[in-house]
Amino acid sequence: MRFALAFVLAATLATPSQAGVAEALDDHILPGFASFAAASADLEAAARSDCTAPALAASFHDAFDAWLVVGDLRLGPSETGALSIAFWPDTRGFTEKTLASLIGAQNPIVDDPEAFAELSIAGRGLFALEMLLFDPDYSDYGTEDYRCALAQALASDLARQAAALSQGWSESFASVLLSAGADGNARFLSEEEAVRAIYTQILSALQFTTDSRIARPMGSFERPRPIRAEARRSGRSLTNVLASTQAAVDLAEALADWPLPETRAALGRVQEAAEAIEDPAFGDVDNPAARFRLEVLQQKVAAVTTAIEAEIGAPLGLSAGFNAQDGD
Amino acid sequence: MTSRRGFLASLLAASAAPRLGWAAVGSPTYLAAAQLPGGAYVLCGLDQAGGETFQVALPARGHAGAGHPSRAEAVVFARRPGYFALVIDVATGRVIHELVPPEGHQFNGHGIYIDGGATLVTVEQMAEGSAGRIGLWDVASGYTRIDGFASHGIGPHDARLMPDGRTLVVANGGIETDAQDRTKLNLATMRPNLAYLGPGGDLLDMVELDADLRQNSIRHLAVRSDGLVGFAMQWEGEPDMGWPLLGLHRMGQPPLLAEAPLADELAMRGYAGSAAFSVDESEIAITSPRGGRLHRFATDGRFIAAETRADICGIAPHPEGFIASDGLGGMITIGPDGARPMARHDCAWDNHIVAL
Repeated sequence: MRFALAFVLAATLATPSQAGVAEALDDHILPGFASFAAASADLEAAARSDCTAPALAASFHDAFDAWLVVGDLRLGPSETGALSIAFWPDTRGFTEKTLASLIGAQNPIVDDPEAFAELSIAGRGLFALEMLLFDPDYSDYGTEDYRCALAQALASDLARQAAALSQGWSESFASVLLSAGADGNARFLSEEEAVRAIYTQILSALQFTTDSRIARPMGSFERPRPIRAEARRSGRSLTNVLASTQAAVDLAEALADWPLPETRAALGRVQEAAEAIEDPAFGDVDNPAARFRLEVLQQKVAAVTTAIEAEIGAPLGLSAGFNAQDGD
Repeated sequence: MTSRRGFLASLLAASAAPRLGWAAVGSPTYLAAAQLPGGAYVLCGLDQAGGETFQVALPARGHAGAGHPSRAEAVVFARRPGYFALVIDVATGRVIHELVPPEGHQFNGHGIYIDGGATLVTVEQMAEGSAGRIGLWDVASGYTRIDGFASHGIGPHDARLMPDGRTLVVANGGIETDAQDRTKLNLATMRPNLAYLGPGGDLLDMVELDADLRQNSIRHLAVRSDGLVGFAMQWEGEPDMGWPLLGLHRMGQPPLLAEAPLADELAMRGYAGSAAFSVDESEIAITSPRGGRLHRFATDGRFIAAETRADICGIAPHPEGFIASDGLGGMITIGPDGARPMARHDCAWDNHIVAL
């Protein structure tokens, strides 16, 4: 097996820049954004017909699932655009502050989509919706309540953002990636830089999962921080870890023109470790045994990074940024 | 006891024929250190088009350098904790002086030539406790240590000369580091400052930011010809806070924080690695290699735009506005209308571009 792998990698060494930027776009990124735009449009339609929290839960989860396929990308239109869709971690508590202020003032901004789009990014997107739909302090509202109009405004704004992001990728940034090295492209001075950019995104996404999605609720042994778990209100913390890891592996496979058996196997071990987790919102992390299981999950996600570094980074000669990893 | 041979050699070094000027090495506009594909480290001269005018070997990865204002001579500091600095004759590539900080001191980042090149200023800290020091070296006598004084802060990293030609502005980063390595020891209590020092080291002004920003290490400086100082910061507290990373200050006035929209600020990953004013001094930019982006601000603190470029860090003024370098070997210019590619070298450019 290892021998076969070595052979495949060697065969690709001659033309490393042929790793598939086009395939990464066509097989993963662009359809991912299109699906997310469709799921967000469905959520908007659902909110129009019934804005109450229980009625919207399923569409919310569908949109969030669709988001995770491409949600960790921080490139092109997603570099800042992803943050107004998924504002997390919210270290300064901005989401709740913004929602509480809108509700307290019954702010008519909910009737003005253009003004709503200028609202703080912390008060928009999936996590603002999650707080409204799943936090008992907010979710108990009827159709006459301000929060109903707020849920509709948030869903509409999300759908608009999702459509814009999908369009930004397919109609603009895809061609920046595909024209890497062409005259006037200051973003990517060679084809290899475009490959590197996508490769870096894959590793950053996995690092976000280990360092934020998992490490934040783990806190320290003396002080676990379960309320820091991502999307804990909707019980999606574990789902998000799995879906984002899966997305990273899928993107890696689209980028590579060769099989990634070690990476695939590492993903399988992440899924096995996840089966042992009892609370999908990581609320039991103050129990040492539960904390240990989360730590195992973290190690398994880190092992996916190691596998991708070996199966894509090493053959392409890609390593972390010279300045980014170092400090002054 | 100095041997006769050693004595003669030192006389020779001190009185050697007048050193060549920068014209002899292709009249570079900038200095930049780099790592070559094989792993070797070099110091390069660059012209305005991003082309290389000279390349000399460095024995190890350096940090920021400084170019002598007239002689084709550059000083390159060892990485922190810095036990030495090398003065290199870039015409021959030879190390002509090795500077060793006084016992118990470490070089801690940058240095500059002042007094028309007669004096080298080095930014130092005490190995134990990281109390900041400024070292002064006499160039004519072969870089002999002539003076030193407190920087009025912990862990200084950058220093610049103010337009009056006398006052130094120092970025006291506030971070105490281990005497042997770069382990940070005081993040919970750190308190950086921006200090203005007279020629004898007397403290003329000092700026500290609000307590909320206590963990924003003030590390890199840019000075405008009218005395406006830009200071770039690196956030050492909990990640994803999105605090501003650039401040603007005039002596005797309160500082102004230059803040980008929250999504942009978060994309900088709490890290600014370099700062520079644009060629007409109407803008200031900071770079984040961690975020792979550059932020442009007006000098009243208003955010203008972001430019994206992987591993970008070096930045300096350029006729187009700015020139920026990155770890992928790229050189781009940034003008009023955004970024344009300029050159690509087969190397990884290190943190800084130094304008000569």
